[in-house]
Amino acid sequence: MDVKTLTKLTKWMETTDLEEITWRNGDDKISLKLNNNPEHSHTIASTMEPVLSTSIGIFRFARPGKTNHLKEGSAVKKGQELGVVEVGKDFKSVTAHSDGLLKIVSIEEGKPVEYGQPLFFIEPR
Amino acid sequence: MFKKVLIANRGEIAVRVIRTLRELGVPSVAVYSEADRSSLHVRLADEAVCIGPAMARESYLVIPAIISAARVTGADAIHPGYGFLSENAEFSAACRDNGIAFIGPSPESIQQLGHKAEARKVAMKAGVPVTPGTKDCVTRKDFKKAAEKIGFPLMIKAAAGGGGKGIRIVREAAQLEKEMTMASSEAKAAFNNGDVYFEKYIELPRHIEVQFARDTHGNCIAFPERDCSIQRRHQKLVEETPSPAVNRKLRSQLEKAAVDLAEAAKYVGVGTVEFLLTQTGEFYFMEVNTRLQVEHPVTEMVTGFDLVREQLLAASGEKLSYTGGHTVPVNGHSIEHRINAEDFSRNFAPSVGRVEEWLLPGGPGIRVDTHVYAGYNLPIYYDSMLAKLIVWAPTREMAVERSRRALAEFKVKGVKTTIDAHQLIVESEGFKAGKTDTGYMERLLTPAEPAKAP
Repeated sequence: MDVKTLTKLTKWMETTDLEEITWRNGDDKISLKLNNNPEHSHTIASTMEPVLSTSIGIFRFARPGKTNHLKEGSAVKKGQELGVVEVGKDFKSVTAHSDGLLKIVSIEEGKPVEYGQPLFFIEPR
Repeated sequence: MFKKVLIANRGEIAVRVIRTLRELGVPSVAVYSEADRSSLHVRLADEAVCIGPAMARESYLVIPAIISAARVTGADAIHPGYGFLSENAEFSAACRDNGIAFIGPSPESIQQLGHKAEARKVAMKAGVPVTPGTKDCVTRKDFKKAAEKIGFPLMIKAAAGGGGKGIRIVREAAQLEKEMTMASSEAKAAFNNGDVYFEKYIELPRHIEVQFARDTHGNCIAFPERDCSIQRRHQKLVEETPSPAVNRKLRSQLEKAAVDLAEAAKYVGVGTVEFLLTQTGEFYFMEVNTRLQVEHPVTEMVTGFDLVREQLLAASGEKLSYTGGHTVPVNGHSIEHRINAEDFSRNFAPSVGRVEEWLLPGGPGIRVDTHVYAGYNLPIYYDSMLAKLIVWAPTREMAVERSRRALAEFKVKGVKTTIDAHQLIVESEGFKAGKTDTGYMERLLTPAEPAKAP
């Protein structure tokens, strides 16, 4: 196996859950084992900003009678309303804190949320 | 019984309510502010939801947030604890409007008995003695007669006054006219209203209160009286039951007054009637607390009742656990000490920080209700109570000895506490003899304070 293929294979492995792989081709045999020591590999440095729930209540993507076409990958602006939390007859606004890309939507329509719960993650621009 | 109960409170009382719910097999829901994430009630409850930021007015006092918390968790009842929203008629009504049982009295009862003048009317109608005084304002013509009827010493109070302002004490008839003129002109200057009325002045009163419970079936129990005379700036420090100043005859009069009042108000739930007891044994209605009180454990210790359980029974429309009469026997003596995070040596200044060491007293006759543990960080946003030390013994003398022993065992490091103040109380001659009144603590502290200053 040439170095190029080996690099490709290793890179590909990192994108999967595989920890170990054995490759055979005639007399060629190679075993790869990723160094997945959690103490080293699980420090995730994220630049994403969480958007937290502003109240306990029921999450809605839009106020009654309105629609919201927000989805993962959408561009958002600072101060833009991403959804509301229904608390009694009141609706508490949930807004983006910075311009950026909406990377993760971690809430579904009509689900209960508590105060401070992460609802969205934004990659600021 | 309820399917799931949410506790709209924090601290030791939330822990207290969760314990009874667990014994009854009823799931509990804790609500908490961001500052209480690591509080014991959050850890003990079956479920917990965060309802807002640290400030109580943005979390524990927000009615829609608490109602929402009950809805999203599927709780069919809310226990308000004490303080916060416990005596808020609007909250009781909001629960009812949302189909959630409020574990406390109806909004109508809270409104009626929570309002001092209204409560006084109910008491008078029920035949409960109220502080003697003139019903209306006195005039230049009739004030001498009115004063004679009440007797001396008496208080001249400004009709438009409040919060202790516009009050003059008259000790003898000879001073009446002069004091009356001064009080009236003072009232005119301060409140733009010179009207005044008279009320009997009670010297060195004791604070006596009677716990009662009443269900929707009309069963009503009055529990043996509690004596809460040890106070500092109107804050109770020590409570005990029975009172060393109340004999069997007086007890049955007090209990009857509480039952009559609860019946007259058609009250459902647990409540407390507070009285002033004079040195000569007369008692006068003061006010009603329409909630569970901090000092309820002493009553539990001498009667064997679980008052939270009685609240749950009454609120769910069931009968109280005892329906055999209006009174219950008293067994032994119980004293409660409120241990606060305050620096006794610095005039009870608030103390905050991390509780480094927390060693609780134990052994026979000791109960500690608390939400604190070693490593707990005291949030600065709420009241300063750390724990309630409750002792029980067969006699008062033994209970006082037990308090002394238990207070000496109670070790706290990291924050200052009022344990020393309680030691001072239990070792004082007046307390040991049961001869106290609402001014006792102030007198006990006065000579000691200059010497204690650093």
